[in-house]
Amino acid sequence: MLVARLRRLFRGSCVLALLCWSVVALFSGDGAAASQTPSPLEVAAASDLRFVFEELRILFEQQTQARIRLTFGSSGQLKTQIEQGAPFDVFFSANDNFVHNLVAQGLVLPDTVRLYAMGRIVLWVRSASPLAIDNGLSLLRDDRIRFIAIANPAHAPYGLAAVQALRTTGLYERVQPKFVLGENISQTLQFVQTGNADVGIVALSLAVAPVVRTTGRYWLIPAYIHQPIRQGAGVVAGSKQQARARAFLTFVNGPTGRPVMQRYGFTLPGEAPAQ
Amino acid sequence: MTAAGIDWTPLWLSLRVATAATVIAAVVGLSLAYVFAEHRFAGRNLLEALVTLPLILPPTVLGYYLLVTLGRQTLLGQAYERVTGTSLVFTWQGAVVAGLVPAVPYVVRTARAAFEEVDAAILEAARLDGASRFQQFFGILLPLARRGVVAGVALAFSRALGEFGATLMVAGNIPGRTQTMPLAIYDAVQAGRWEAASVLVVVLSVAAVLILLLVSRLGASA
Repeated sequence: MLVARLRRLFRGSCVLALLCWSVVALFSGDGAAASQTPSPLEVAAASDLRFVFEELRILFEQQTQARIRLTFGSSGQLKTQIEQGAPFDVFFSANDNFVHNLVAQGLVLPDTVRLYAMGRIVLWVRSASPLAIDNGLSLLRDDRIRFIAIANPAHAPYGLAAVQALRTTGLYERVQPKFVLGENISQTLQFVQTGNADVGIVALSLAVAPVVRTTGRYWLIPAYIHQPIRQGAGVVAGSKQQARARAFLTFVNGPTGRPVMQRYGFTLPGEAPAQ
Repeated sequence: MTAAGIDWTPLWLSLRVATAATVIAAVVGLSLAYVFAEHRFAGRNLLEALVTLPLILPPTVLGYYLLVTLGRQTLLGQAYERVTGTSLVFTWQGAVVAGLVPAVPYVVRTARAAFEEVDAAILEAARLDGASRFQQFFGILLPLARRGVVAGVALAFSRALGEFGATLMVAGNIPGRTQTMPLAIYDAVQAGRWEAASVLVVVLSVAAVLILLLVSRLGASA
């Protein structure tokens, strides 16, 4: 009788202890193994950098033994997240105004701010599309087109550039009812890649990426018909790894980073834009 | 845009989408609930599990399934586009589908339980008196189970009104056309327009409470 009760009590406390332990384990730290290794450098990057930064991440990790974790989004979304205290170490925006705005709020270190690339936009259709892309933007008048994908101009710089290019060419009013807005430039590409949108205006850096290049055709939109896409970056003021964040910032425009960035179609500081 | 700088189209669009989704979900859900409650057949449990699935799956999974079945390059999507002349993706009709699929199980589960509460002897008596299945359903089952039915439909409406993930994937986020209230709120926050977001949040909250009060009063007096 007493033995049975003691046994039950013992079993009960074991279960309770296990429960407490798992709750504590769940809430402490980032995860199981995180406590042993140093935390990775948290990089917030505009979505046009999705493919090029995957390459740069691997190269940087090989050279420095540091680890990098990339978070992609539209520049406006990432800026809002930094304003809300998101734990990023460094921010690569597709629009340098967002970085200057964060500097003004004291959220990005002023001496780290730099222009790291100039972006370009392209008209993009998938390989199976019957649309002839070589005619450029006038293609958008085609009645077969039901949906035109652009990034949301409210918070995505590449979407804003697309709107400017269409305004310059006088096409905006005509094509605007056909717009579908991507959350960021890589979702915009996905809309067209899946064939749900007939054509899209996306970043050159996505169109030339090896995994994208084979799936579609692109036409380079002249740089002079939209405001320059000045991509700015800076170290987040709250970063606990400022030295490494600065190192990555320099790395992107350094001897290793430059050829990679160029291969993805970016014009780098001090270069003349390609036409 | 109004003087306050708030665009109200998302509210009207949300109400229209949620109402359309609820009406379809009610018709489909009540039929299924009736079948599940009154009939025994092979594969019933499997069918029931399938109908309940959207209740458990994350909205992004639903969005994925809808895109691969109804996208413009799929058989179903192209057939729909040929018949109606409009696509389901990137349209408000797509938002209706995205809201309707997760709303159906609320109707089915709640109405089925209510149907099973109804005394079988009453239906039996009606059948002996020569009532058709149609008369049994609309004359006896539905009125007697009205509380459960109304509750299920109300839950379906609120689920459809709050639908976000699948809608974002299927209908896009097109201001004035597919941007429902939850999407407009998300968009306002993403763009750092906090004032607009807070106004929309309050409006959606108040609308939801009002609708639920109205429906519960209807249920009580019916």
